[in-house]
Amino acid sequence: MIDQTIGGLPLFLMIAAFILPLATFKIKSKVFYHAYATGVTAVALVLSIINLLIVRRDGTVIYFFGGWPPPLGIVYEVDAISAFFGVLVASIMFLAVLYSIWYMREFDGVEWYYVLMLGLTAGSIGCVYTGDAFNLFVMIEVLSVAAYALVAFFRSKPEALEAAIRYGLVGATATTMYFLALVFLYGSFGTVNMADLALKMRPWIVTSNPEVVHYFNQLSGSLFGNPVLGAAVAIALSLWAFTFKAALFPNHFWLPDANPEAPTPVSAVFAAVIDSIGIYAVLRFMYTIFGPDSLLATGTYMNIRAPVMTILFILGLASALVGALLLAIQKDVKKLLAYSAISHVGFIFMGLSVGTSAVSENIRILAIGAVIYHVLSNSIGEALLFFTSGVFIMSTGSRNLDVLAGLGRRYPVALVGTIIGVLHLFGIPPLAGFFSKYALFMAMLDAGNIIGAVALVAITGISLLGYVRFMYIIWLGRPREEVSLRIKSEPLTAVIPIVLLVAASVVLGVAVQPVLKELIMVADTSFSAAGVTRYISAAVDLLRLLQG
Amino acid sequence: MSSDFHLVAYLTGIVIISLFVNMGVSLYGMFARPSLIKKLIALTILSDTANVFAILVGYRRWPPGSIVKPPVLTELPPTPERVARFVSTAVDPLPQALVLTAIVIGLAVIIFLAVIIMQIYRTYGTTDVRLISKMRGERR
Repeated sequence: MIDQTIGGLPLFLMIAAFILPLATFKIKSKVFYHAYATGVTAVALVLSIINLLIVRRDGTVIYFFGGWPPPLGIVYEVDAISAFFGVLVASIMFLAVLYSIWYMREFDGVEWYYVLMLGLTAGSIGCVYTGDAFNLFVMIEVLSVAAYALVAFFRSKPEALEAAIRYGLVGATATTMYFLALVFLYGSFGTVNMADLALKMRPWIVTSNPEVVHYFNQLSGSLFGNPVLGAAVAIALSLWAFTFKAALFPNHFWLPDANPEAPTPVSAVFAAVIDSIGIYAVLRFMYTIFGPDSLLATGTYMNIRAPVMTILFILGLASALVGALLLAIQKDVKKLLAYSAISHVGFIFMGLSVGTSAVSENIRILAIGAVIYHVLSNSIGEALLFFTSGVFIMSTGSRNLDVLAGLGRRYPVALVGTIIGVLHLFGIPPLAGFFSKYALFMAMLDAGNIIGAVALVAITGISLLGYVRFMYIIWLGRPREEVSLRIKSEPLTAVIPIVLLVAASVVLGVAVQPVLKELIMVADTSFSAAGVTRYISAAVDLLRLLQG
Repeated sequence: MSSDFHLVAYLTGIVIISLFVNMGVSLYGMFARPSLIKKLIALTILSDTANVFAILVGYRRWPPGSIVKPPVLTELPPTPERVARFVSTAVDPLPQALVLTAIVIGLAVIIFLAVIIMQIYRTYGTTDVRLISKMRGERR
């Protein structure tokens, strides 16, 4: 139940990130920096997989820092969904760092780049592992500061500076809003521990076994004032920060701004990891803490959760539509991919908003399983396309699609990656992108959300134009004659991530039955009423154990 | 006694209202002012307001008639009566710990943004976002 690798992983990454600047005093070799960062992220990947195995074997695992039990101290509580997102984050970060070995070889300041990359990994892993809403704020800030700095990595480029300041100012405002939400939560619940919050939002657990309430309440007190009102204000403020991280309309603007100016591996991380963190935080808040069986949806007050879900649905629809429409008119390849990510985040939020208290639990779990599947396929597809376009961008030094025309024929591996990636994101069987969209479609039909199901198909149709245009230009476009190519063929460290991601897309698509079954099981163990009860009772049991 | 209570409620009301006004002003400055420096100042005001708000949540008024004495334990080990008095007069320390953390993180973010603004000033010669976006338009 208590396990050291849970708390150890983010700490390990944080310490590893800060050792690197110290090491630069003694070791000046670029090879060392590359090897160090690759090794550290590889260890992180292995540890996250070990955590996944532990969670599969033992159920929810808890680690508490400094001997302070929940709800007093910082607690890392890993259940099935956290472990899954941990592996997703760690593997994308590992591939991005592997890709950076080649991509960053000509730039100065690689050591600082890797410090920021490792810091970003630590922040992301901390975000998904934490069981404490305030620690989530800290980890989001760790992740954000690294992300702002990575956008401004090419600090002599005016566009990069401008993108960084726009992203940084609005991002800092959004995270301050989340801090304010925490103040409201603390004021009305007396705690910022997620398990404690979830328990206090579910009086029915207390009525069914009254001895439970004693364990948290002796340390964090009971409710103050109207809990529904406090929770509603906190949700309004915190969803702003989370949808900003997830790049959901109308908070999507930073992604197409920041993405083109950052180094390409970082763009892949933005679209694949930071989006997923935002989605994870929304899942955690709207399903674990303020779930469909909580006071917000079932209490004597108004059902506040349903309007919130409707708003998320409308924003998701708008986001999907905006992304799909703007996809078709982009000249900048990285901006095009950013709008593609925004469109897919829209789909994910459309599926996520299905789980109101009006639909049965089975359908909710089905919808969350489909959402997780689409998060997975979106991360794979976006990372793959950024990695392949990185080859073209590095070769010509330009992001303009006209300049890149026909380049695919010179680089066969990158071309295959681009074709698979585009077909995957558009949704062609047997690739995973098709089945995840299909699962979302079925979940929305089951929940009776016909508008959502029809919109999913229609918006996919709209996005066809942008995707096919992109693929056509890269593959069959007529090359410009004056373009000089700087690399002969794809280097090995670019080929490995591309091949792995292509394989992941094919395998996760072909093996759709077991994969979807597995993901629905993940959703069921984390977000069903029994799963949430397990999440709470893991913390309560720990307190009980410590008190003897 | 009663007039004293009204005074406290009145003052607390003023503090809360001014915090919300402060927040509105800083959000206005954040999104409407063209100068990057003013945006940064507005951001610091916003985060300071949020911090004061957190402190306010942890605030507690001393029960009427209690001895006006700072809640400090002077003898070790403390007697149960001392501990009881301490608990009845001390404020909630957790919001203060949260604020301390938030201030430290805010420092990192603000230093980073200040450095970027400085670098923008070196590159563009101005911190006015209207001029900056115009210049970017010309160069393309």
